[in-house]
Amino acid sequence: MQISLDINGSLRDVYLDPRTTLLDALRSHLGLTGTKKGCDHGQCGACTVLLDGRRVNACLTLACMAQGAKVTTIEGLGSSDALSPLQAQFLNHDGFQCGFCTPGQICSATAMLEELAAGWPSHASTDLEGPFPLSHAEIAERMSGNLCRCAAYSNIVDAIQNAAKDGDAK
Amino acid sequence: MTDTGEDMRSYARPQTLDEAIGLLAQGQHRILAGGTDLYPSAGMQLDGDVLDLTAIPALSGVTHGAGLRIGACTTWTAIAEADLPPALRCLQQAARQVGGRQVQNAGTIGGNLCNASPAADGVPPLLALDAVVELSGPGGTRQVPLTHFLTGPRQTLRATDEVLTAVILPDAALYGQSSFEKLGARAYLVISIAMVAARIQVTNGQITKAAIAVGACSGVAQRLPAAEAALTGAPVAEAAARVRAADVATALSPIDDVRASASYRIVAATELVRRAVTGALA
Repeated sequence: MQISLDINGSLRDVYLDPRTTLLDALRSHLGLTGTKKGCDHGQCGACTVLLDGRRVNACLTLACMAQGAKVTTIEGLGSSDALSPLQAQFLNHDGFQCGFCTPGQICSATAMLEELAAGWPSHASTDLEGPFPLSHAEIAERMSGNLCRCAAYSNIVDAIQNAAKDGDAK
Repeated sequence: MTDTGEDMRSYARPQTLDEAIGLLAQGQHRILAGGTDLYPSAGMQLDGDVLDLTAIPALSGVTHGAGLRIGACTTWTAIAEADLPPALRCLQQAARQVGGRQVQNAGTIGGNLCNASPAADGVPPLLALDAVVELSGPGGTRQVPLTHFLTGPRQTLRATDEVLTAVILPDAALYGQSSFEKLGARAYLVISIAMVAARIQVTNGQITKAAIAVGACSGVAQRLPAAEAALTGAPVAEAAARVRAADVATALSPIDDVRASASYRIVAATELVRRAVTGALA
């Protein structure tokens, strides 16, 4: 079927089997290979993208379901010349080893900081009203949908904490 | 948008329930209500026509009326964020523990029920809340208690031409406080070994009503009538001590599998019941 997707602010027409996941559409049909395929089962989070600002697993979303939504991938968050605050902090804090999970981690953390700003509690929050201090436990819980098999978690947490501080400073 | 091109399966994303029911009347469809279970379980074999319900506004959201109505396509995130009475805390706690946030943003309560996994996180809280499901089809709308709707692992009473449109919690079940406990091999992103929802009503320091349900320890999650009876009338301080393994085991038929043995599941479920009861009383 012929569909039209709003990806990183530009409308892209693509012809695909309706069973195609958003992940395969991005990678194989649209040449956006920043979004990674890890488990392809919604467990690892490497394929995390933003749909209207909310993080979802692109491997569990059919491309045709994303019609009418704004899709943001890692390519839409920043570039090597203009890093997003999270991208910059992942570099500063070495928030990766092999780097395969990193695009998903950064997309996920981008939405996570928005959720925090909007005052959404997590399962780790002791108080449902907020504000939520960005403790290690809060970040671990809120980022639990993103696995890092190199276990660079402590540096990922540092990167996110510092990106959040940068955001607060602005 | 429907496409029936050569060799391809059709995908429909109607905006209204009538349209969806009309499509089901024309032939069998795989119903998609978020997609977090459908796609991984189907893999390359996702064949047949797909009917995506997520664009129907009437199927999303929580409304108060006679009881509380949760639209079938309400996401876990929307449930977690909704302003709900303390009796529903168990459901909101479960909503925050279904996969990671990515899954909570896409997965829906109706999908969780129709998928009918023995380890569905939504089921024990809804059983403790005396939930009734609403099914709509060409013949009209019917309501079925959740205990009857779930008939076995991956099996429900939903006819192929019906849509599960809402979960309804009766007024009488909106009282008390509740809590949800879940046990997996690790904290996150695992299929549960056991999970428990408990809803407790207390008057003058005495338990007047206990509703307890256990998931992942039988083909279909179960209420625990013996454990509920043992708690009813108990002083709050004695609640945890009234939870006995025999009362828990009698309602369950746990399996030995790769995640845990049957005997371990009973021990674990009993401890989770104690914790959930204590949590509900906190």
